[in-house]
Amino acid sequence: MSGYWPWWVGAPALATVTFGYWRTVGRTLGASTAWDRVLHWREERAVEQLDAAFDDAGFEAALSAATAEAFGSATVAVATRAVAPSVIEAAPDAPAAAAAPATDADAAPAPAPPVPVAAHAALLASIFVGGLIAAVVSGRFEVRLDMGPDFASLVAGGWRMWPTLFLGGVLAGFGTRLAGGCSSGHGLSGCSRLQPASLVATAAFFGTAVAVSFLLWDVL
Amino acid sequence: MKAPGRRILAGNIAFGLLFGFAIANIGFGDFGELNRMFTFGDLRMLGAFGGGVALAAAAFAVVGRPPPRARLHAGLVPGAMLFGTGWAISGGCPAIPIVQVASGAVPGVATIAGVVVGMAACRRANERWFHLDQGSCGL
Repeated sequence: MSGYWPWWVGAPALATVTFGYWRTVGRTLGASTAWDRVLHWREERAVEQLDAAFDDAGFEAALSAATAEAFGSATVAVATRAVAPSVIEAAPDAPAAAAAPATDADAAPAPAPPVPVAAHAALLASIFVGGLIAAVVSGRFEVRLDMGPDFASLVAGGWRMWPTLFLGGVLAGFGTRLAGGCSSGHGLSGCSRLQPASLVATAAFFGTAVAVSFLLWDVL
Repeated sequence: MKAPGRRILAGNIAFGLLFGFAIANIGFGDFGELNRMFTFGDLRMLGAFGGGVALAAAAFAVVGRPPPRARLHAGLVPGAMLFGTGWAISGGCPAIPIVQVASGAVPGVATIAGVVVGMAACRRANERWFHLDQGSCGL
């Protein structure tokens, strides 16, 4: 139509991004989460710094001390033995049965490290650069103050375009965060992993977008 | 920076570039193309999206899918419906207005401003009223 990729080029490209991102980063791609974290970077950075400063050994020692104070030292010996039996001496007065509650720390694989908020900012910046390269290479780059003839005829033209775009953006921003994902996170990443929540979300946003798009023809 | 951090950053840059390049070339930034996809007037973009999901699903099935993280919660369907409405009206989801502005369409800035305001409003509204653990779609 206007030099856009045929579906059989677009499909492997989107699949490469969806799968390759997960293989490389260890988390799944989602633009709305990246946006949300970058927008609230102060809070996200504070969490990251707390994570980095968190001292596992010190926490365990403090926890043991507090437990000993509240319940007596025998309990601490038993509880700690369940995690690291070699470092703790046997506590003779400890009831044997109490040693049973084992932690399942070994059963679950270690989770992938979280994506730093700076990397999410780099993702959004790279999407911009990738889009810019595509526009320049294809010859579609053009500084303009409209969203094309279809937008003007179906939705709003003139000055009304600006508040309409803003309102649509508010709905998209609010909705994606309420739903916990957008077309990349729920649509691409979630559906390709057959996550029930993502399949439900994608059906809901796609179905609504279809209904609203048909309404645009009739109403406006 | 430690090795995992470099890998995460490099992955975000490389796949961000490819993602922006791909969605721009598929035509997601073009409101007319998007409207024709949602009204089934042209199945090309639907094929790219659906085909992309199918191919990625095949790849995940081969290597073993990562464990699900997204949860069903009370905000899922209402949020998705608000998003679908906003997408159909503005032509923008959280990533698309970025490539619209990158292609020179200045009004995409208004969509981005809306997305920013909407996300901030959702976070505040959730803290104050909803108290939902939306989780995330898998990040």
